Amino acid sequence: MDPLKDVARVIRSKNAGPTKLTLDVLFDNEAGFRRGVAALDANEVARAFGRDIGAVTVTAYLPAFALKIVMDRPQVAGAPGDRDIYGAQQHGPLLDVMV
Amino acid sequence: MSAFKRLRQSWSGTDHELRVLSASGQLGFGIPQESFVRGLKRKPHVIAADMGSVDPGPVYLGSGKIAAPETLVRSDLRLVLRAALALDVPLLIGSAGTAGANAHLDRVLDILREIAREDALSFQLGVLRSEVPKGDVGAALTGGRLRPIGALDLDADGLSQTGAIVGQAGMEPFRRALEGGADVIVAGRACDTAPFAVVPAMLGYPIGPAIHMSKILECTSLCCDPGGRDAMLATLQGDGFILESMNLARAATPVSVAAHALYEQADPFVIHEPEGAVHLDAAQYVAVDDRRVKVTGARWQPAKQPSVKIEGSRRLGARAVLLAGVADPGFIAASADILRDVEDVVRGLLAQQDWTLHARRYGIDGVTDWADMPDPLPREVFLLCECVAPDADTAKLVLAALRQQLLHFGFEGRRATGGNLAFPITPAELDAGDAYAFSVYHILEIDSWSALSTLFPVSIETIGDHT
Repeated sequence: MDPLKDVARVIRSKNAGPTKLTLDVLFDNEAGFRRGVAALDANEVARAFGRDIGAVTVTAYLPAFALKIVMDRPQVAGAPGDRDIYGAQQHGPLLDVMV
Repeated sequence: MSAFKRLRQSWSGTDHELRVLSASGQLGFGIPQESFVRGLKRKPHVIAADMGSVDPGPVYLGSGKIAAPETLVRSDLRLVLRAALALDVPLLIGSAGTAGANAHLDRVLDILREIAREDALSFQLGVLRSEVPKGDVGAALTGGRLRPIGALDLDADGLSQTGAIVGQAGMEPFRRALEGGADVIVAGRACDTAPFAVVPAMLGYPIGPAIHMSKILECTSLCCDPGGRDAMLATLQGDGFILESMNLARAATPVSVAAHALYEQADPFVIHEPEGAVHLDAAQYVAVDDRRVKVTGARWQPAKQPSVKIEGSRRLGARAVLLAGVADPGFIAASADILRDVEDVVRGLLAQQDWTLHARRYGIDGVTDWADMPDPLPREVFLLCECVAPDADTAKLVLAALRQQLLHFGFEGRRATGGNLAFPITPAELDAGDAYAFSVYHILEIDSWSALSTLFPVSIETIGDHT
């Protein structure tokens, strides 16, 4: 097992509209992608972010060796208390998930 | 005859290459010249650019302000306008002025008219407006034709407090502007894809690949390895298209392009448009050479009934922020409790209670709401406290009281009795303008295709001594 940050080439987050956050994990090859698929299920992602499992969906996308994670934002983007209006720095909790 | 009509008259079919140049991923933030000029040398048939987004937050839609600096808006507009007129090709710009409400669109149109006057340019200008009447939204709300995207509750009260509401225009109003003789189209809020996809669709290229191309192209060279903001060229032919960055240092590869299909999308397999959906499950990405990718397989499914994504923002009040640093380990360890206790003290001190306070502790939870505290604790922490109140004076009053209480708050084990905060500047409380929140981010279901046309009015205006 290795931390995701040592296996994936890209680990990024961004808004998908103001109400949702999407995280993409891109691997260099199919082997890395398979490791990601095996380890990063909705349960594991929800645990890393301290969210309910029902709030998280994970979709595997083979053409890009990618996993897409979507969750509701804790606040709608730009509302008082929002920490990251573009949602571009929300990938931190994924970096050390073991895959 | 307009640039588009000349193009259509001379067009001999979809076996021919149709080249679409994407000038900028967000017009108004500077166009890298060398790549753009390289793109122009390829003789594009269409130049298009996206100019807005919902990403910068609710303040722009609510206030009518443009996020991009006006100097760069002007120079970018001049660059694409002169290029399109010199090549005699249509120029299409979507989501004018960040949020694409009438205030943003009108400011961009003013700048465009000034440029035309200064440079003695003549053309037919198509203007596409995207504000949705609040009455239409209210009727849809009571009629059950309004679906929230994500967790956003809207009631009649929230709607009445909302400012301008915009709808994302699809291809249909752009089509009307081109049929009406426009050489240049500037649109209010629009789907990112529409300005790029409409000319290919009108010339008979299949809609699925045309929209798929547009979804990738609207971010210019972001789909490349390494990604960047340089102009990007797409060449449509038959049932597919080829992507190529106009910066030779950027390569479109099958993986980089496929990965971009994921970007900012909740679903990697479907792109929703007002007039239908594009399905990408059978999309193929194949290298043409080491810098170009051919894409095929996107499938268009027309909607039975049109629907439009709408956006609205309401003013909450005035915002002020307090900036302060902390280096005391005892304060840092107890900072969550201290901030809560001090807010209680301030609530007790002030008669006025209609304000909200949000603290971010950079080093602990400023960026991400982590489930646990960092271990070890950071040596320094930056505090940003945000207050939203009915007016700026109240917001600053709350923060001044908070600042003084925080500075001298006696927590257990306190050693640094000179004061708990390090101020980088004074006054440490700053006005941060009006505060807004998105109140509308919904799918508006439209009764009929003619109602969709009514929603997005198009007008044509002669600029200069057009003959």
